[in-house]
Amino acid sequence: MKRRNYGEKLAEAALLGAALVSVLAVVFITVFLFRSGLPLFRKVSLGEFLFSTNWAPTAKEPHYGILSFIVGSFYVTGLALAIAVPVGLAVGIYLAELADKRASRFLRSAVELLAGIPSVIYGLFGIALIAPAVRNLAGGSGYSVLSAAVVLAIMTLPTIINVTEVSLRAVPRELKEGSLALGATHWQTITRVLVPAGRSGIIAGVILGMGRAIGETMAVLMVGGNAPIMPKGLGGMVRTLTMNIITDMSYATGDHLTSLFATGIVLFVFILALNIAVQLFLKRSISEVEGAANA
Amino acid sequence: MKKIMALGLSLALASSAFAQLSGNYSWGGSTTVGPIAQQALEQLQKDNPGFKASYELTGSGAGVKSLLAGQYSLAGSSAELSAEQAAAGAVATPIAMDGITVVVNRNIKLANISKADLAKVFHGEITNWKDLGGPNLKIVVVNRDEASGTYGSFYDIFMKSAYADKASAYTKNAIVTKENGEVAAKVASTPGSIGYVGMGFAGEVVKAGGRELKVDGVAPTVANVVAKKYAGSRYLYIVTKGAPASGSVEKAFIDFLLSAKGQAIVKSADFIPLPRK
Repeated sequence: MKRRNYGEKLAEAALLGAALVSVLAVVFITVFLFRSGLPLFRKVSLGEFLFSTNWAPTAKEPHYGILSFIVGSFYVTGLALAIAVPVGLAVGIYLAELADKRASRFLRSAVELLAGIPSVIYGLFGIALIAPAVRNLAGGSGYSVLSAAVVLAIMTLPTIINVTEVSLRAVPRELKEGSLALGATHWQTITRVLVPAGRSGIIAGVILGMGRAIGETMAVLMVGGNAPIMPKGLGGMVRTLTMNIITDMSYATGDHLTSLFATGIVLFVFILALNIAVQLFLKRSISEVEGAANA
Repeated sequence: MKKIMALGLSLALASSAFAQLSGNYSWGGSTTVGPIAQQALEQLQKDNPGFKASYELTGSGAGVKSLLAGQYSLAGSSAELSAEQAAAGAVATPIAMDGITVVVNRNIKLANISKADLAKVFHGEITNWKDLGGPNLKIVVVNRDEASGTYGSFYDIFMKSAYADKASAYTKNAIVTKENGEVAAKVASTPGSIGYVGMGFAGEVVKAGGRELKVDGVAPTVANVVAKKYAGSRYLYIVTKGAPASGSVEKAFIDFLLSAKGQAIVKSADFIPLPRK
């Protein structure tokens, strides 16, 4: 008896330790990022950094304006979601409600495979197929906002599909049965009952996908064009926050290096905001499901 | 195939003349120097089982920065050292010659470009091929990132006289790539594009149907680069912190590159061996 207690205590301590390591990692990264990036604002005003499009870090009179990259990040991410959300929703609904066992097993492993493909492979795929297609469609060089968005859309699909399916499956049976018993068709049940009931979970999934898209680096670097300018239309070249950091990181020194950490802070704040939003929606989703089950 | 085998054999014979090397080293820098350094390392590692070294493709500027910071004990560079780098103790040893080659996509049937026009294209002053006697098509400029030694030497050689401020010399409306190989791939696949690479990479563009341009009527051939008739002629360097110490692995690596067998690697990578003194 006593022995088991010790064993349990040991396991508990080990788990606590593991949990602390991940918390500590977050704390260290945060402190490190802010300590390395904040000194920039002694030389450059926050306003100029965030709202100027003039990025010339190695000029004699250097300028550090990252507005183009902020806009680029959101432009690409927004467009990617506009493509991925309808498709992801459709697939998620199909998997949860319509597919028979064999089809859903096949489809699910395909989606899982999609999630496991390294981003550099998506980049190669983008260079070989998507960039030429976009060049024909939107003009320009093909290394553009649209190419980056399409690649990101494919990359965020697994997240959106999985969360949609899980959210729909989490809707209490009674709701579905009640709807069908009242004479609604299966399709009416899906669109009027299941999707609205799983809404918060689905939104959380979309925001999660958004987080993945905004943080993605390698794939967009390969197809975005990487010009440090404000993106002009769908066929225009784009540089996102992540691309800006990776392009300059290897050789930047002094204030230039600090400005890259500051770019990292901006990215960090965006991701943090997205994560808080996910938490809120998930909380709502859980209480909605519980509320519905108790009703 | 026979040629490669003969080359391998002669390499094996030659490198046995060096003392056994050992230890682990991480090196890196210029992506132009990459193919030469990596082939040489492959050979040296085969001959010296206790020796392991890697060469990362980070760009010349990044390589020398890491060298001076102590992360690398040897770096490759495709640009001459800046005054600051030299003052910080970096020493460059030339190991090969190169001609920066201007490449265009296959849909551009131009054969020649003047040095002045080339500078204007990369400055963004000329933006349509029709102004250069080509089709009415927007020019897609493919540039390198600032860590690139080729970016630096291209500016020094072709643009400095027209645009004295380096930071504003290149157009911002250009695809920014991180490697020679990426430039070659993008120029080969993007209609209307123009870029520049170390001559060892031009073959990739030509293979994909792209073209090398003459500059001011001079083609980037071996003879023209050696005779320095071609404007884009330059040296490739191995950089060490302080002069390479005798008996060190870094010195052995440089000696190997400068030996007949090392220079054969330079040639097989489509760069130009140093002229014999």
